[in-house]
Amino acid sequence: MALAERHVAMVLAWLLTGLAIPAAGQEPASLTVLSWGGAYERAQQQALFAPFSQTTGTAIRVESYNGGLTGLRQAIEDGNVPWDVIDMTRNDAMAACEEGLLEPLSPEVVAAAPDGTPPEQDFIANAFGQCSITHTVFATVVAFRRDAFPGQRPTSIADLFDQQSFPGPRALQRTPAVNLEWALLSYGVPREELYGLLSTQRGLRLALNRLDSLEDIHWWEAGDVPAKLLASGEVVMASGYNGRFFDAIVNRDLPIQILWDGQVQEYETWVIPQGTRHPELAKQFIRFATTTEQLTELANRIPYGPARHSAAMQVSTHPDNGRDMRLHIPTHPLNAERAVIKDDDWYAHTHHRVEERFQEWLSR
Amino acid sequence: MDTIQTDKVPSQGPLGVIKFLGLVLFGGLIGVIAAFAAVGFVAAVLWLNDSLLISPRSRMMFAHPGILIAATIAVPAIGGLLVGLVHHQIAERRPHTPADVIAAVQTRRGQLPARAGALSALSGLLSLGAGASVGQYGPLVHMGATLGSLGARLLRLGRSDDNITIACGVAAAIATAFNAPLAGIVFAHEVVLRHYALRAFAPVAAAATIGYVIATGVLERGALFHVTDTTVPQPWEFAAFIAIGGLGALVAGSYMHAILGVGRLAERLPISPLLRPALAGALLGLTALWVPDILGMGQETLRFATIAGAFGGIELIVVLLLKLGATALCLGMGFGGGVFSPALVIGTLFGALCGTVLGKLTGTPPDTFVFYAVCGMVAVTAPVIGAPLTSLLIVFELTGSYVLTIAALASVTLASPIAAQLFGRSLFDIQLSIRGLDLSAGRGQAVLSEAPVRRYLNQDCVTLSPDTDIAAAVATLSHAGRGEAHLVDPQGRYHGSVSLADLEAAREDGHAERSIAKYTIANRPVLGPSTSIWEAMARMQDFTGEAMAVVDDKEQSTFLGVIYEASIARAYLKHSDELRREEHGSG
Repeated sequence: MALAERHVAMVLAWLLTGLAIPAAGQEPASLTVLSWGGAYERAQQQALFAPFSQTTGTAIRVESYNGGLTGLRQAIEDGNVPWDVIDMTRNDAMAACEEGLLEPLSPEVVAAAPDGTPPEQDFIANAFGQCSITHTVFATVVAFRRDAFPGQRPTSIADLFDQQSFPGPRALQRTPAVNLEWALLSYGVPREELYGLLSTQRGLRLALNRLDSLEDIHWWEAGDVPAKLLASGEVVMASGYNGRFFDAIVNRDLPIQILWDGQVQEYETWVIPQGTRHPELAKQFIRFATTTEQLTELANRIPYGPARHSAAMQVSTHPDNGRDMRLHIPTHPLNAERAVIKDDDWYAHTHHRVEERFQEWLSR
Repeated sequence: MDTIQTDKVPSQGPLGVIKFLGLVLFGGLIGVIAAFAAVGFVAAVLWLNDSLLISPRSRMMFAHPGILIAATIAVPAIGGLLVGLVHHQIAERRPHTPADVIAAVQTRRGQLPARAGALSALSGLLSLGAGASVGQYGPLVHMGATLGSLGARLLRLGRSDDNITIACGVAAAIATAFNAPLAGIVFAHEVVLRHYALRAFAPVAAAATIGYVIATGVLERGALFHVTDTTVPQPWEFAAFIAIGGLGALVAGSYMHAILGVGRLAERLPISPLLRPALAGALLGLTALWVPDILGMGQETLRFATIAGAFGGIELIVVLLLKLGATALCLGMGFGGGVFSPALVIGTLFGALCGTVLGKLTGTPPDTFVFYAVCGMVAVTAPVIGAPLTSLLIVFELTGSYVLTIAALASVTLASPIAAQLFGRSLFDIQLSIRGLDLSAGRGQAVLSEAPVRRYLNQDCVTLSPDTDIAAAVATLSHAGRGEAHLVDPQGRYHGSVSLADLEAAREDGHAERSIAKYTIANRPVLGPSTSIWEAMARMQDFTGEAMAVVDDKEQSTFLGVIYEASIARAYLKHSDELRREEHGSG
């Protein structure tokens, strides 16, 4: 019975959103969203939160965190969950769902594309988890100093390892993830087979051999380091998050260029925590925030790729500085031609062994 | 348009065209069914490999080393036990393979049995799922063929159309599994039909196209070979590719004979056929603890073999020999499954070995390493399945690289003919000739040696008791207008034949009172009811007379009737005509 009522309420809520008329006599509820702060949250404020309040009359309160599940676990234990919607990495969302920290979330929450394409076809593969809906894609990419290679520029991820044609020090993240993938890609392994091959001793050895062939690697851990190393000229090529590199290019005029070949994509999802006070309102918000229009608006402000194709195709210019954002988002067809999708499941189960092998190699 | 259509098929009116279009549509429908069956089969194998800790990914993601070791031995062994039980349910006590499909089509017997087909697919699924070193394309081809034949039977189509629907199923299975429609079409013609009639081409093409469409929609897979750069081999390297072809034929020969040899050996083992695959599985698992590359279809090993430096030279030889041995062990001891995927791995390892050796000789490993790997792959697989064109097309459709295809062509130029001369057209043909069906002289002979003379048996002849005197015999023969009489005693036993000319001569000599038994024609050949038309024709070569007697083989040479020389000639013409219509029909 309760389930049926909730369904009815959900349908009503959708109808109301669709008609854009606040229900007469509806309580002026407010929705609390947990997100990541900084430039990302500013973009969300403009693209998602403000328009949602305007359309539905629901105020949105935003809190920020740095990822992880500790806070959520504690809140549920205390029986006091202050958030209605959380912006979470897919890794975390999968773990939280298995732990039972999240409400199940049906793909039916999401709206079809403006041209009627159903969500299952419009969203990227595996966008719908048991408790999460993937909304944006960020990527770890290689960026290089344009002035370091005045003639031929790197075009393929294999060029990261080609210090003969592209001499100079590299900066890489001090993790096996991404580096191993790139090393195997440089041998011409198709991206679909990366994790199968990395599952063998031969594959790991081959990948580490490739990393071994690099001279002068600067290892970074904090996300803002690669741009700094590039800016100071200590390295000529560096791996890093595409949003940070975009920021360095736009706001700091750094003469760097992103090499999209072999980008490793990871995901951000919307989830609803167990014990939320406004589950229906939360679903209403997720439906709104994942529409083609709103995802496009968001990607126009920060270069994280919309998880649906219809939105990726509509991304245009930054409303403030007029930059063509299409060139900067990971999911744009031109950039995503040879994108690797990080295998969350594989890393979840092999992390310790792969990390051990990597550390052993590092300490040699 | 219509006039052109009728010009082209003058013998068939609009009804013929509609019938033909119906066949094309039906071919497409077979394509849909076979493609989905193939997709389901491939997905089930992958799922089993993941669940049973066979695939490297699942082995890596599994955290308990002790259980992993136990599973590596137990899974193939238990899989083998189940496979043995499945084979026990099949009349021949072995899984049906593409060889059975070829036999059915080449002899125009058609009608692949559905139950044995389903059990063979199950055996292939269990074998592959449990990590046996066997291929998946053999079971897929047989499954597609069985579905095609079943369709033909449901619609009560004739033998020629049965053959075409079998080919449709085969083409769709290959097109789906490899994502290569052209290879599917050519394989069906090159290996199964062995002719290129337009009437067969259109339905087969429809089936393959649909298989491809379904494959691209449902199965997303990376290219089998990936050529990153536009590296072009040096002209002299093509000489190396040709040489790889020649040597590859020998590798292919060893591979085929290893499989057959282990099969013969297994027959002599004092172990029940039921338990043989389980023993092979346990041995395989034990070896895999040391060299995991030999487990399963070897997708990862295949990829590594195309990468320069992934294996050392000695390592390549060890893995190649172990993979060859493992495959021979699994197939020879009775696992179900194909020969193609392991041949791909062995061939690629062999090509990689050639590339590595050449690199050692010239000082640097060649940039064109992948060319050597692919040449080795084609040189070994083409002779094994007897399909040089299909192998080339698979390379072309999977890589999209013209240069690579030409290199493969150079290699197959020597590989296929050398292997055919030394060993036989394909492993399938060798297996069939061991079973008594010789396809080396083409289809005409195959069809005629399968058709018994029984159908042309005639009782319209003069039979006389052996004690008849010559005068009476001459009178009877003259009245009947026959030149020959056959002597049959009251018990129905045959005692030879006499000719009117001989009897006349004896009468002229004044022996009219003698019994005719002394005047039987010497060395008169007789036929049995199951003698084939082909054999009857061979005996006819040194036979002058009007008809050959047919005698029951088993009992005391009971006379059954005669077969006139003209009937055999007519039977030969009829079968040739059917073949000609099937192989040259345009629609």
